[in-house]
Amino acid sequence: MQNRSLALAATALAIGLSSGMARAQEINVMAYTGLFQDRYIKAVIEPFQKANPGIKVNYVPQPSSAAMIGQLRAQKAAPQTDVVIMDVSVAKAGTDEGLFKALDENSMPVLKDLYPNARFPGVAGVAVTFDNLVLIYNSDAYPTPPTSLLAMAEPAARGKVVIPGVPDIQGLSLLMILDKKNGGPGVEGRFEKGIEAMAPIAPNVQTWEPKPEVYAPIIAGQATIGVGWNARAQVNSETSGGKLRAVIPSEGTAFQVNVISLVEGSKQAEAARKFVAYALSPEAQKSFTESMFYAPTNSKAQIDPKAINRTAVNFLDRVVPVDWIAVARVRDQLSDQWRRRVLPLSR
Amino acid sequence: MTASATHAALPEAPKLDGRALIVMLLLPITAVNLIGFILPVVNLAMISFMEVRSTGAMTGNWSFAKWQLVVTDPFYWELLWNSVRTSLTITLLTLLVSYPVALYLHRSSGMWRSILLVMVISPLLLSAVVRTYGWIAILSDRGLINNGLMALGFDGPLRLMFNLTGVVIGLTEILMPYMILALLAGFGKLDSRVEEAAATLGASPFRVFWRVVLPLSLPGIALGSLLTFVLAVSSFITPKLLGGGRVFLLATEVYDQAIVTLDWPLAATLSIIVLVVFGVALTIYSRVLKSLG
Repeated sequence: MQNRSLALAATALAIGLSSGMARAQEINVMAYTGLFQDRYIKAVIEPFQKANPGIKVNYVPQPSSAAMIGQLRAQKAAPQTDVVIMDVSVAKAGTDEGLFKALDENSMPVLKDLYPNARFPGVAGVAVTFDNLVLIYNSDAYPTPPTSLLAMAEPAARGKVVIPGVPDIQGLSLLMILDKKNGGPGVEGRFEKGIEAMAPIAPNVQTWEPKPEVYAPIIAGQATIGVGWNARAQVNSETSGGKLRAVIPSEGTAFQVNVISLVEGSKQAEAARKFVAYALSPEAQKSFTESMFYAPTNSKAQIDPKAINRTAVNFLDRVVPVDWIAVARVRDQLSDQWRRRVLPLSR
Repeated sequence: MTASATHAALPEAPKLDGRALIVMLLLPITAVNLIGFILPVVNLAMISFMEVRSTGAMTGNWSFAKWQLVVTDPFYWELLWNSVRTSLTITLLTLLVSYPVALYLHRSSGMWRSILLVMVISPLLLSAVVRTYGWIAILSDRGLINNGLMALGFDGPLRLMFNLTGVVIGLTEILMPYMILALLAGFGKLDSRVEEAAATLGASPFRVFWRVVLPLSLPGIALGSLLTFVLAVSSFITPKLLGGGRVFLLATEVYDQAIVTLDWPLAATLSIIVLVVFGVALTIYSRVLKSLG
């Protein structure tokens, strides 16, 4: 009897220990700070932890993709990060430096369900969110909603326009959309027509560096119109009670892509892989789109029509195709043109 | 002086022991400087010679490309000149507004002096970011100044920020506490009895100031100007927030290249240039101090 109860106690202890050990599996997921962090933890990380009680996910917030790659470069010898969500052009630089491990369909079947434009040659990770450029405006200043980017060139907008300028990718997206609309030469021609099309807009610009983001000055009325990212604009529209509104401009829009990657040399590679697969699953994609209005990258995700209508998914005909990796190669030349030809018009 | 005093105090101590002691005493600060300053600067210099692809990926090879670019592209020379000129303007303005405050503080005493000192130092308890946002509230189109001006009948708001004016106003205020404290530290030689003596000999108040007060406060002015200049050249948050993307300075360019464009070697090259500017400023400062005796 005594022996048996001892054995039972030992077994219980062993189970306790092993479950304790299982719970001790921890992964660090690095992504954006702020709004993204709040919503991503609730919509994706918490449900993942519930479904995988053995894995604890720590969210490591960073202000930008460049800050993330800085961390990864510093940790290269002994990575402390397992999964990273960052902008595709920075993910390309990270792939070139061997910071990421390539994902493949055999070990991660969910990749087969992704839209074809969620994968990029020469990038180890795959797209986890699609965002797009929108025209944002203060609804008090514009009782009739503007529809065109040229609303930023009108006299009423004098000194009231906010645009995160080149080399920020919001300014770059604007340049590409205007270039395409004006029959421009695209990336090979350094978006020449886009630069020209900025001429009537630039004199109206109040600031090219809205900090921390472009939404606050428009909500406050310090500015009335500008461009920003759809997902954050939608959330800011909600939290401001409709003071800020967003519309896809008639000239078109462009996608911004966040890529999810496995870090090379991760000590918890299996758990990290599990998390990446979950982040790409229809369930997580649905949950995050409905929470923050990033368009999903998984074609199987069944999203509430109310949420999907606030993304660019139903306006794909207006999306200007952008090869961000090709753009990254000419970014310094674009910055140069921008400085010489656009900024002087706004002094 | 100090060395001979030490020898006098320790006459029997063998020479080697003294040396060993000095080495031992210097070791901690040498280690701190090595780890905290020399190594990062060496690392920075090394990054400036690394090869980077246009996408931001570092190849691991060495290259002079960024130094060549910085030396040959007039944009970077303009950037250097802009930074130095703007920082000198800010230093001069900060000196002009801080000097009377510091002089008054130096002459006040008791409770009043303590209250004034706390008022001067208290802005340092707030981060520059918060104070910059404060300036945005004051300088914006619907801010304190423009609302006041428009109430007085001016038509249309004055453009006070998102340009160089805003940067100069913001940085001048933000750097004032440093200047005031440095001036106070340098006012040591200033003795009210000397001023009284000059006045007794018939000098007008202006003459007393010009011939007595100002020359005696020159060490403080030199120290304060050095400190303010160095802080102005290296500040980037305030120029970013108040410059509206129109003001290009070395520090903001370092930030853009490192954080936005991901060109670390270029950012490192520009950082080394900032260090060289500091070196020149320090040299000028020590020359000025020497000439003051």
